[in-house]
Amino acid sequence: MNKKAGPMFYVFLTLFVFLVMFPFLWVLASSIKPVAELFGDRAFIPFTNNMTGENYESVFVNYPFLKYLWNSLVVSSITTVYAVLVASFAAYAIARLNFKGKTVILGLVLSVSMFPQIATISPIYIVLKNLGLTNSYLGLIIPYTTFTLPLSIWLLVTFFRKIPFDLEEAAKMDGASPMQTYWRVILPLAIPGIFTTAILVFISAWNEFLFALTINTDDEFKTVPVGIAMFEGQFTIPWGEVTAATVIVTVPLVIMVLLFQRRIVSGLTSGAVKE
Amino acid sequence: MKPDLMPNNQKQTAPKTKQKAKKKRSDRSLGYMLIAPSMILILIIAIWPVFQSFYYSMFDLRLNNPVKSEAYVSYKVNLQTYLDNYPFLISSLEDEVDQATGKTKTELEAIKANLEKVDAELKADGELSSKYDEIDEKLTVMEPISEELAISDLDKEVALDLEKAVTDSSERLRELKGELQNPEDVIGLSASLKDSVITPNFIGLKHYKENLTDSRMWKAIQNTTVFTVISVFAELVIGLAIALLINKAFFGRGLVRATILIPWAIPTAVSAFMWKYLYDGQNGIVAKAFAEIGLFDQMTDMLTTSTGAMFAVIFADVWKTTPYMALLLLAGLQTIPSSLYEAAAIDGASKWKQFLKITLPLLKSSILVALLFRTLDAFRVFDLIYVLTGGGPANSTETISILAYKVMFAQTNFGEGSALSVIVFVCVAIISMIYIKFLGRDLLNDR
Repeated sequence: MNKKAGPMFYVFLTLFVFLVMFPFLWVLASSIKPVAELFGDRAFIPFTNNMTGENYESVFVNYPFLKYLWNSLVVSSITTVYAVLVASFAAYAIARLNFKGKTVILGLVLSVSMFPQIATISPIYIVLKNLGLTNSYLGLIIPYTTFTLPLSIWLLVTFFRKIPFDLEEAAKMDGASPMQTYWRVILPLAIPGIFTTAILVFISAWNEFLFALTINTDDEFKTVPVGIAMFEGQFTIPWGEVTAATVIVTVPLVIMVLLFQRRIVSGLTSGAVKE
Repeated sequence: MKPDLMPNNQKQTAPKTKQKAKKKRSDRSLGYMLIAPSMILILIIAIWPVFQSFYYSMFDLRLNNPVKSEAYVSYKVNLQTYLDNYPFLISSLEDEVDQATGKTKTELEAIKANLEKVDAELKADGELSSKYDEIDEKLTVMEPISEELAISDLDKEVALDLEKAVTDSSERLRELKGELQNPEDVIGLSASLKDSVITPNFIGLKHYKENLTDSRMWKAIQNTTVFTVISVFAELVIGLAIALLINKAFFGRGLVRATILIPWAIPTAVSAFMWKYLYDGQNGIVAKAFAEIGLFDQMTDMLTTSTGAMFAVIFADVWKTTPYMALLLLAGLQTIPSSLYEAAAIDGASKWKQFLKITLPLLKSSILVALLFRTLDAFRVFDLIYVLTGGGPANSTETISILAYKVMFAQTNFGEGSALSVIVFVCVAIISMIYIKFLGRDLLNDR
């Protein structure tokens, strides 16, 4: 940590950041070119003299892209709220209470989070189809529990464990019931951890592809990742629209990541690092 | 010891232990109550489907085939299909009988009699008979019929008789085709009638046997392994190098961290499409760059040759997840006290020796955890390949998840697809067991 960074280091760093960001920058440059300049000789020149917004316009006019965004937002938000709420009870119990079988339960949660989605898809698809829930929001929110709930429990347990135990003892001494202790003492202290968990759960739900691809096939209920993947026409790919849509999806993520990078990193690395 | 002291003593200690026991008990019941909702949800939505997948994998389950659209363990009859066809078949047959002569006439009469005989057999069952009438009535007034009412269990003997009768009649009518007035009618109706008999589609482990001897499955396993091993190894090496380099105080740390997170945060499907654009044979800048430096003969090779496509997929995955790997390892590096390095430096240990003797051993559990998560993720890979290459060209990037998806949703063969997904599950279980053996209980460290 106390090593000094030299000028060579910054050269390397800039190069590294440029390489990581290059695909985005190129796509951003392509998205504002007129379609004709995406092909032929001009395809490899990043700058254009005829800057245009037609690709962006087309994404919203010729494709139900706004609908996709809305669907993704609804599904991911509801999934996040309900998964984090249900998980917070379980995580509190595992982190703070003393009862048999805790380790087994945590092990179970961890192994469920490792389940390949493809192994659960056929029964889930058939059940949802029989219940008439394919092509609905609920049809995605329900199966999203398979990965969001274990993820939330796993993260929240590590956050709850970091809260000092003395506070709880003090609350108990003052005669607070376990539920009161949870709501009044633990929860306010756990808010940052819960928020971090919510961000990570939201991103994982927003990015989900396999369930969204198989369960919601109707344009009315498609989410963004599937919607963009289906931009592909039968013979040609509308690169102009694809690049524009990619930029539209990436920009809010960039803002979110810039705002919350500290939290996201702490969430990603908690549980993975032994202290 | 005075006898009257005993109860006194007990009085003093009893409430305390009782209180402790009570607290413990209340802790326990509260604990179970709090974890119950999560556990129930996980059981229903994650664990049950895995078992159900295994169950489905033992059936010849095809969603687009009406007699195989569910897992049937017993003989059943679909009375709706039956009554949609049987009465019309009989009346058409009557017309044919009236117009036919000689041998054809007797033949047709025999077919008709045969069908009527099994029809009587069906109606001989009291419960079935009442359902028969109810459905018949509903069909005449065109009321919708629920699946529960339409499909009923059938005695094995009756079912076999029925199956034999309808198959026979269908075959014989086809033979008589030339002699009939309206051959399409009777042949069509008798063919549809066959769909009313549902025979058990339980086939045991046949799907596994077929899959394990299928070269396409082994090719998919091989592709998945190649993809997993190369991409995870590259991610570990590059990620570790980056983590070591940025493990120092420098200007713009937060910004670098944020940049690193962006590839991780963007939906894989979207980034896959982005790479498809960059790899494109006509206008892809990355394909052009790789061709210029001589990695490929031509730009178009990138997505149209098997090695090119595999390289393309691995490269995109390394781009997306190396930063994530670097972050995990960086967090591990930061827990190593710098005093260790100082002491080693005083003892005259070289940088390389410090890395081997201090960094690697202390980073071991971080590396293993990161490797575990990455290996499992890579082994399950679906969206990246589905969008970028679709498994092509010529199945050269088809992974086991992609194959299972195609069998299930493109061929609607859910039985075989489920068998493949169970195979994925078993592979993932084996991989995690190997890692957990190395990690021990570190992963579930209690406090």
